[in-house]
Amino acid sequence: MIGADEAAETTLSGRAARLFEQYRSGDEYVMGELIELLTPILWHTVRAQRLDAQAAEDVLQTTWLSLVRSANSIADPRAVLQWLVVTARREAWRVVRKQDRVEPREFDGHETTAPSDEVPDAVVLRRAEYRALWQHVQRLPEKCRQLIRVIAFADRPDYAAIAEALGMPVGSIGPTRGRCLAKLRAQLASDPGWQA
Amino acid sequence: MSAASGPLDEQDVSVLGHVAAMYDAADPVPGGLVDRLRFAITLDALQAEIAQLERMDLALAGARSADATEVRTITFTSASLTTMVTIGQAGADHVRVDGWAAPGAGLSVELRTTDGVLRTVADESGRFVFDSVARGLVRFVLRAADGDAHPPVITPSVEL
Repeated sequence: MIGADEAAETTLSGRAARLFEQYRSGDEYVMGELIELLTPILWHTVRAQRLDAQAAEDVLQTTWLSLVRSANSIADPRAVLQWLVVTARREAWRVVRKQDRVEPREFDGHETTAPSDEVPDAVVLRRAEYRALWQHVQRLPEKCRQLIRVIAFADRPDYAAIAEALGMPVGSIGPTRGRCLAKLRAQLASDPGWQA
Repeated sequence: MSAASGPLDEQDVSVLGHVAAMYDAADPVPGGLVDRLRFAITLDALQAEIAQLERMDLALAGARSADATEVRTITFTSASLTTMVTIGQAGADHVRVDGWAAPGAGLSVELRTTDGVLRTVADESGRFVFDSVARGLVRFVLRAADGDAHPPVITPSVEL
């Protein structure tokens, strides 16, 4: 059993669960640690929905306040990372809808050309390896791009649960590679400039 | 090769590692975001009154001499309290903080730094001192002596 516990501790969701349980048992200072641990994955969860930076910050603040206010009514504290991903994604979606964009934001998940994310600044694009990878990721369908972007900030045993929290069908990723990652791998394999 | 139905392998994990590095560079988490989120949680938990930063005076005492000592005065105001703090040097990496709050007799004062929390109690006239505080971002949390009668007052972060 020690082995199983150790495995849980080494994943992002396992570490988050441990901190959240400490918080629920009265150690309020570990909330700061939990925020630090999970801000990268939640930032990319929200930004993948193409919110601007300020709106993304507001969404994250709402998400954390929701966690604190409902801390004791969360049924499964071990799934706190999934809870936060679901909450952040829903809140982001709510804000995007409220922004009432003219452009349609519906997509069927199978489109081959997806609208691009904001182009990162020139400094990043000057690094050839990032530029190539950026372009490959941009060619993925939007749903796949969101999945790959968020999963990249988690650990392998968490992939399936996070995909589910992102509203992806079961089997999107983990334990099998899944369609999105297979597609990215195929693109990279056919790029003679890519070696990883 | 690398079929969708195949098991995740090391190369998949490696590709995802590159994706994370690329997004870290392309769209980094904004500086200070973690601190702002923590602040929001703290405020919510304390149901605190937020003080406004009123004035920051920068006076260079003996500006013309080589050992110029930087002294700053910051005033925070909120509905129930006015707090003035003067920040003076106390060594290369530390400052001395002299504060005065009104009405401040017996006020409990917390100085929240990135390393931890320093605490003191204001005297009869509302004065309080922190002799040696490491430079960095801090905020004050002030609680009235009569405990729960008033919400605590919390200040925005200031750089010492």
